[in-house]
Amino acid sequence: MSDPTRSSDTMSDPRADGSIRYSQDMEMEGMWHARILRSPYAHARIRRIDTSAVPEGVVVLTRDDIRDLNRYGCQIRDESVLAMDEVMFVGAPVVAVAAATRRAADEALPLIDVDYDELPAVFTEMEAIAPGAPLVHPRHYISENDAAYFGMRPIDGTNICHRFRIRHGDVDRAFAECDVVVEEVFTTDSAAHVPMEPHASLARWHEGRLEVWSGTQTPFNNRMDLAGIFGLQPEQVRIVCPPMGGSFGAKTFVRTEAIAAALARKTGRPVKVVLDRAEEWQTMNRHPATLWMKIGAMRDGTLVAKHVACWANTGAHADSGPGVAQKMGYASPGPYRIPNVWVDSHCVYTNTPPNGAYRGYGQMQCIWASERLMDMLARRLDMDPYTLRMKNILREGDTYCTGEIMHDVAFEECLRRSAEAIGYHTSDDHAGKGVCVLMKGMQTPSRASIAIEAEDDGTFTIRCATIEMGQGARPAIRQMAAELLGVPMERVTYPDPDTDLVPYDTRTTSSRSTHVMSRALVEAVRDLEKNGKRGVGEVTDKGGLDPDTGQGIASSHWHQGAAGAVVDVDVETGKLHVRHVHASIYAGKVVRRAAAELQNEGSIIMGLGTALFENITFDGGQVTNANLSDYNIPSFHDMPRITHDLVEREGAQVYGLGETALPPIPAAIGNALAASGIHMTALPMTAERVLASIDGGGTVDEARRREMRDIVEAGLHRSEKS
Amino acid sequence: MKVQFTLNGAPADVDVRADEMLLDVLRERFGLLSVRETCGLGVCGSCTVLVDAEPISSCIYLTPMAQGRSITTVEGLGGTHPVQRAFVEAHAFQCGYCTPGMILATKRLLEETPHPTDHEIDTALGGNLCRCGCYLKIRDAVHLAAGNAGG
Repeated sequence: MSDPTRSSDTMSDPRADGSIRYSQDMEMEGMWHARILRSPYAHARIRRIDTSAVPEGVVVLTRDDIRDLNRYGCQIRDESVLAMDEVMFVGAPVVAVAAATRRAADEALPLIDVDYDELPAVFTEMEAIAPGAPLVHPRHYISENDAAYFGMRPIDGTNICHRFRIRHGDVDRAFAECDVVVEEVFTTDSAAHVPMEPHASLARWHEGRLEVWSGTQTPFNNRMDLAGIFGLQPEQVRIVCPPMGGSFGAKTFVRTEAIAAALARKTGRPVKVVLDRAEEWQTMNRHPATLWMKIGAMRDGTLVAKHVACWANTGAHADSGPGVAQKMGYASPGPYRIPNVWVDSHCVYTNTPPNGAYRGYGQMQCIWASERLMDMLARRLDMDPYTLRMKNILREGDTYCTGEIMHDVAFEECLRRSAEAIGYHTSDDHAGKGVCVLMKGMQTPSRASIAIEAEDDGTFTIRCATIEMGQGARPAIRQMAAELLGVPMERVTYPDPDTDLVPYDTRTTSSRSTHVMSRALVEAVRDLEKNGKRGVGEVTDKGGLDPDTGQGIASSHWHQGAAGAVVDVDVETGKLHVRHVHASIYAGKVVRRAAAELQNEGSIIMGLGTALFENITFDGGQVTNANLSDYNIPSFHDMPRITHDLVEREGAQVYGLGETALPPIPAAIGNALAASGIHMTALPMTAERVLASIDGGGTVDEARRREMRDIVEAGLHRSEKS
Repeated sequence: MKVQFTLNGAPADVDVRADEMLLDVLRERFGLLSVRETCGLGVCGSCTVLVDAEPISSCIYLTPMAQGRSITTVEGLGGTHPVQRAFVEAHAFQCGYCTPGMILATKRLLEETPHPTDHEIDTALGGNLCRCGCYLKIRDAVHLAAGNAGG
């Protein structure tokens, strides 16, 4: 593609002159402001709500106002607009208020009195699967939202709201024949998305319809859920999506919109909800996970078998956790030829705030475990970890353990480039140097459509549901449209997505939008040439996996990448210094180079936070670091040498790259430590944990490994083996 | 109480409670929506404005403290300030939420240190967080605005 049309583009930009307007900036005549009273208990029965002290001029919404509303949830219907009988996490919305000013709404909250009877609670994924654990939800109702697109397998009477399996080959026999077998237990802590703009939405009821302005990645899913909540047809709900001040997965599915809509219904006014920063940690975080993995190989390094059992802690609401657990499961074998694979992945409820989509969508967790395990195996085989990877890596035409044939494969090239970039081969022992390679699935199946309207003044208007959160999808789509239409980019406009005006699209997630829209656009332009006025293009990607065998098409289009890291450690303090980190990401064909580079750099930097210091801490289910003083995100002070490249190929498709460079960063750093004899199994790799590993002689915790093996063997899948 | 200050070069006066933060007053009374809250604690830099040319966190700055001072927000730079042009030219943003604070902090940095090194940039902008992770291109933008060789 031609060089981005920099001339007109670079004269001014609403982000540089401050004129960009986000959801939180929306104003409307007569609009009121909402605030939310939240549960102080992780699990409790609500005995009584007393709002009698709230002054006039403040409208209060309690469970008594919403008894006619339906439960919702994008994959499992386990949420109500406010807590009904029970609260299930610290921070669960219990009462909402609206007033003419935010201050008046704020001042009403302490005047509300709620009595609770505390109930037993469960906080970690491993506690939650133990026999006799308190149940967060006794029964699991599968959602009708099209985000519940795969074979959902909730297990009633347990805290498991989804389980996914891969059954490929004969794992038991294969392990018995292996020369070398290694196993380990890995964990990852929770992390916060920290979009700079908090969650914000504005709702009003207008001529019998519900209209919502919301920074969300999932306009059509929110339309479905809001219609379901209020007993409307989807067409009676309108969602408009202003650009977001960051999201990273946090602004997916219904978050603040239902409370805004219920308050708007009660007040008869437009109502805006803008969360306080502390509320962000009570609204949506990343799944902590526990992953047990075992891998077996022949003496020459040929991989023979892999067994994975993993548990993703989804908090008190499933949200998109089942999907996260499924992707965590199907990518856990890694981009290798392994003839025998057995995977059991589980999504587990606990009494903690909900966890959902987070840049990388479960891949960071499984790659941390599987790529650390590859280095452990290499060491046992006395092989170079790079050589072991290259020996087994998926190449063009290979079959993955799901049975799908791999096309346009670039793992080898990405890994080679990353290793070279960090000077991996310049020393034999590779001390302080590590590499990692990853595969990451894209939403499959999915459907994308886009319309182009020719205006009388010679300009073109794009109608498309793809939202903008800083990732640059809307400029990329505008540019591709302009190139196909043969007009300068400034003659193509792309208004904020509005579900009344744009054709259906699955959602703006899994780095799919630039890729799928690049294909839909070709059809739309062709259609426009035929019709003259309006052209519509649609692409449908078929596929999906059998949830009981993991066979099928996991991803119509695989995101591929690798990373390398150079580190050194202060052995007295455990302080880890990253000297250089590099990521090589397969881009196919770059659309807007600067935007693509920014996505790579941003993913790497977010990955550094995950690797080194980001973790949400809890005490009795309560987040204890819900502010940006105690919860640190990477700043200018935390930048090591960062390099990256975008791997392109002649004639290749456009590949999404919004998150591929995040998941490999922690494992590349962990493997660099391993090359220096420091064995890490838990993320983040804080100085305390690094020091503990050094003090422990870099050995693993045998007792914990045995305990995990017992859980796997006693538990959840051997009995289900059929 | 009445507070008078200069706002983006023009005289301004406003009647506020003593505990009102400058952030809220600039947004709600003056419609200056480039001034944005993220942390509410003065640690992230999103709400940065210049008070007598010094970058401050307006989320923890009591409005009465602005009495008689000169306040600059990004709206006051007009859109074509060399620092703004450099940010656009260097593609130094993604979502753009933190950008006004970055631009104002950069403006002050270049007044004090016309040709900063990477280290000086990191130090001056260390209190401005960008979750999109545009730090490398923001550094490029600062070098570009400074006319630094190779920047």
